[in-house]
Amino acid sequence: MADRVVLTIGTKKGVFVAEAGKTRKRFDLRGPFGPGVPVYSTLVDTRGTPGIYASSCNPFFGMKVLKSTDMGKSFKETKSAPAFPKDDGRALINIWSIEPGSAKKELWAGVEPASLFKSYDGGDSWEMVPGISNHEHSRKWNPGNGGLCMHTIIRDGNRVHLGISTGGHYLSEDGGQTFTAANTGVGAGFQPDPYPEFGQCVHKIARHDDAPGRLYMQNHGGWANWTGPGGPRPDIGVLRSDDHGHTWRSIAKGLPSDFGFPIVVHPHDADTVYVMPLEPMTRTCPGGAPAVWRSENGGESWSRIAKGLPKKQSYFTILRDAMTIDDLKTPALYFGTTTGQLWIGRESGEKFECLFDALPPIHNVKVAVV
Amino acid sequence: MVATVTLFLPEPLRTYGGGSAEVPVAANTIRDLLDRIEQTHPTLYPNVCDETGAVRRHLNIFINADNVRDLDGLQTQLKNGDVVTIVPAVSGG
Repeated sequence: MADRVVLTIGTKKGVFVAEAGKTRKRFDLRGPFGPGVPVYSTLVDTRGTPGIYASSCNPFFGMKVLKSTDMGKSFKETKSAPAFPKDDGRALINIWSIEPGSAKKELWAGVEPASLFKSYDGGDSWEMVPGISNHEHSRKWNPGNGGLCMHTIIRDGNRVHLGISTGGHYLSEDGGQTFTAANTGVGAGFQPDPYPEFGQCVHKIARHDDAPGRLYMQNHGGWANWTGPGGPRPDIGVLRSDDHGHTWRSIAKGLPSDFGFPIVVHPHDADTVYVMPLEPMTRTCPGGAPAVWRSENGGESWSRIAKGLPKKQSYFTILRDAMTIDDLKTPALYFGTTTGQLWIGRESGEKFECLFDALPPIHNVKVAVV
Repeated sequence: MVATVTLFLPEPLRTYGGGSAEVPVAANTIRDLLDRIEQTHPTLYPNVCDETGAVRRHLNIFINADNVRDLDGLQTQLKNGDVVTIVPAVSGG
């Protein structure tokens, strides 16, 4: 019976694991593991005997994948990390996403420079997925400020959605063999053409099993006042698709900013979605007053939820994978900041509380009930 | 005649080098040394070079007291008794 809430917290200085009972009253913290090395992606793998994976982006000695089989009490390196074939010409910089595949030990990893790798043995060996890694567009993608990263992997039956910054949204409908750019309605603000075929700076994509075909996207917004070639392009930052990602429309009206990084769907209600608007120039909380914004009608309207959060003088950033939600009956929302605070939003975000106040800068927060 | 040199590993890399701080290698140049390491110590090599064969950006390689960047780079010739040291670059933050 699942009775423990496990949080993985990827930081600039390694990965931490926080654990609590189902009441989530008190979290015990362990770590850092892979100490001193940035961790951008983690996975609490609930298939079979639960385990934890973390990418460890060593600036000196290259990429490692860490694995824990004791729920984060200890970690060991897997036998290898993703690497490009010798004759490819690209060198791996970072792993931005680790997701479970369909087979028991199958893992998918989205990496920088944007490419997809699979492992069938729990991370001990990896192979590149050519359908996207060698896509005809792949050498034309450009890195954003965070690098040319594949940060989102969503599997939905035979469909696979990938989010690439800056490549856009790519869709496979044959299980990941082939991919096409699917960005109709997804705007780009940093080039003259506001709606290119590909090359958008997608920040995160989310979906829910109860709403087949629907996807939510946090795109790189903040271009309402652009006066350069192509003119202003307001409200391109928060989007929704109702046709499996083939076309997208804005749902940004009502938000204080359409810029942000994460987007999260409520585990029991596909119409409830959360974003964390940031000022586009500073990428910090508008007015120094952080707030999560929640829509309970699929993005038609939004409301500010900030009870318990600082009311002023708080200028942190919440990165693309630093907000998540557990799937207990009354879920809790979690987000980590670049200033090292980990917040819990109890009762689906109704009341926020700082769990840990002084961790290293947080890149990634994942949660599972095990 | 191939030179016999000693490769000195920093502490974080010793686990990949069989636990030893020093690894004897027969090689004529630094590139030759790295290629031999790839064969003899396949888990150590990717910590030093990326998939393209380039030395990782934040590592320095010294022959005795000289950085190979100030010599002939990876083509720098080795001679018997040289000590080749891999040193992570100094960084902060």
